[in-house]
Amino acid sequence: MIVLGIDTSGYVNAVGVSDGRQVLVDQSFPARTDSLEQIVDNINTTLKKAKLKLKDVEGIGVGLGPGSWTGIKVGVTVGKMLAFSAEKPVCGITTLEALAYTAHSRTKLVCPVISAGVGDAVYAAFYRAGVQKGDFFTGDVNDLAALVKEPVILIGSNIKSYRDILVKQKPTLKNKITIKEALPSGAAVACLAATRLKQGKTEDPLSLTPLYLKESTAKVFVNKYKVKK
Amino acid sequence: MLILGIETSCDETSAALVEDGNNILSSTIATQLDLLKKYGGVVPEVAARRHAELIGYVIKEALNTGKKTLDDVDAVAVTSRQGLIGCLMVGVAAAKSISYARQIPLIGLHHIEGHIFANILSNPDLPIPHIALTVSGGHNMLVHVKRNCRYEVLGATLDDAAGEAFDKIAKFLGLDFPGGPVIDRLSKQGNRKAFAFPRPMIRSKELDFSFSGLKTSVINMFKEKIANGESLPLSDIAASFQEAVVDTLVAKTIRAVEEKNAKVVSVTGGVSANTRLREVFTETCKKKGIQVFFPKLSLCTDNAAMIAAAGYARMKMGERSDLRLNVFPNAPLGG
Ligand SMILES: [Zn+2]
Repeated sequence: MIVLGIDTSGYVNAVGVSDGRQVLVDQSFPARTDSLEQIVDNINTTLKKAKLKLKDVEGIGVGLGPGSWTGIKVGVTVGKMLAFSAEKPVCGITTLEALAYTAHSRTKLVCPVISAGVGDAVYAAFYRAGVQKGDFFTGDVNDLAALVKEPVILIGSNIKSYRDILVKQKPTLKNKITIKEALPSGAAVACLAATRLKQGKTEDPLSLTPLYLKESTAKVFVNKYKVKK
Repeated sequence: MLILGIETSCDETSAALVEDGNNILSSTIATQLDLLKKYGGVVPEVAARRHAELIGYVIKEALNTGKKTLDDVDAVAVTSRQGLIGCLMVGVAAAKSISYARQIPLIGLHHIEGHIFANILSNPDLPIPHIALTVSGGHNMLVHVKRNCRYEVLGATLDDAAGEAFDKIAKFLGLDFPGGPVIDRLSKQGNRKAFAFPRPMIRSKELDFSFSGLKTSVINMFKEKIANGESLPLSDIAASFQEAVVDTLVAKTIRAVEEKNAKVVSVTGGVSANTRLREVFTETCKKKGIQVFFPKLSLCTDNAAMIAAAGYARMKMGERSDLRLNVFPNAPLGG
């Protein structure tokens, strides 16, 4: 099953293709501010690299975030409208799960960490053998230390600095944390989506929504933007 | 030629099917009125999130209502210029995905050009050239429509748009949101001459608008009374305030008409639904031998049908956007 995966939650357009067994192509395009401008071109380029056309694609995986609010709005909208317009089954995958997947650990606890944009705020979660353990974490990375109680693979972008913070908070973690530097991967999203789609776990494309984790509460936004009008 | 229009520049998620630029098969608008009421106005990130939730459903509904499928759609037109950046992005992301998946042409449009076409769509006999006044909560502009899709911007608001002033005064008076329709209704029972509010810049030769001073003057006039717990003659205030806004809009538009030696006025945008504005424009233009046109009420506020109509006109001129189409929140009205 040929599955296209996209994830624009980070400062890259991550686009990849999996045939359901292995990765055919995994591309990462720089896109700090121009996610929207480049995304469709990047999808087209990636498919071409795999010598495929959109009509050859049998399913679409969409990275839901968390990450850049603008990035995930663009990526999820593109993913769902491609699936709707090209009539492909679709599956939403959280970016944290996709990152955990790229750690390739069947046994160890994996903790993907994504910057929440301001200061030391992060999104994180714990996975074992691909299964999420506990809730999503949203908050100061210093507070994440308390949740780490056993050896863990920390994965994400700029991950060394997060390890340093955790070890500083809780020195006993010194030998318990291994790190893996990784960006969101379109292929990881595609692989996870392929597994789910093969099991018949498709979603209504129109229902896909970004995973912000940080709620758009009135307070947050009213303070940030000072309501216009 | 069947065009799917998409409009998400502010707080309405909208999709429409328009055939040959003049026949509306469907026009679906999901308003965010609940959010507007909750926050007292448009909060950009909140509005953009709602667009991302609704966009697919709105497009599907437009197709269903028009009894068409994407197979029947020949092109996609979308608002890509002027508006809230995060909101515009959702519409453009959707439009380019459809264009790519269906291999159909794409065109990005300026929001104000859409409003100009809302009136052309409503009145197929609306002559060009004409002077267009677009007036809503988010924008306030005087445009010389010189030829088909060729514009000269004559003036714009320097601060608040007229619709914005309506909202702020309504809020100050403790009235419902959005303020335009409420003040319009209330004014019908009020005395338009009860209070002499300033007509901002009405004597200036410039064709720009400024409503922030009027707003402040209304608020200052009554602050003391409110502080003393006096009851305010709401309908008189509403009617007098509305009259000041209407007088200003009409005077500036007529000045533009005279300056450009035009014979026709097109009033468009959300505030063009205001009954008193329509009344005064109709009277004044009749006296001066000028023709005046207003859009259908359903096409006054933001909608995708007007975007599809503008897209059709531009496509007939051979224009297309490529899949790198981006958004420009502050782009001037070009072309
Ligand atoms: Zn508008």
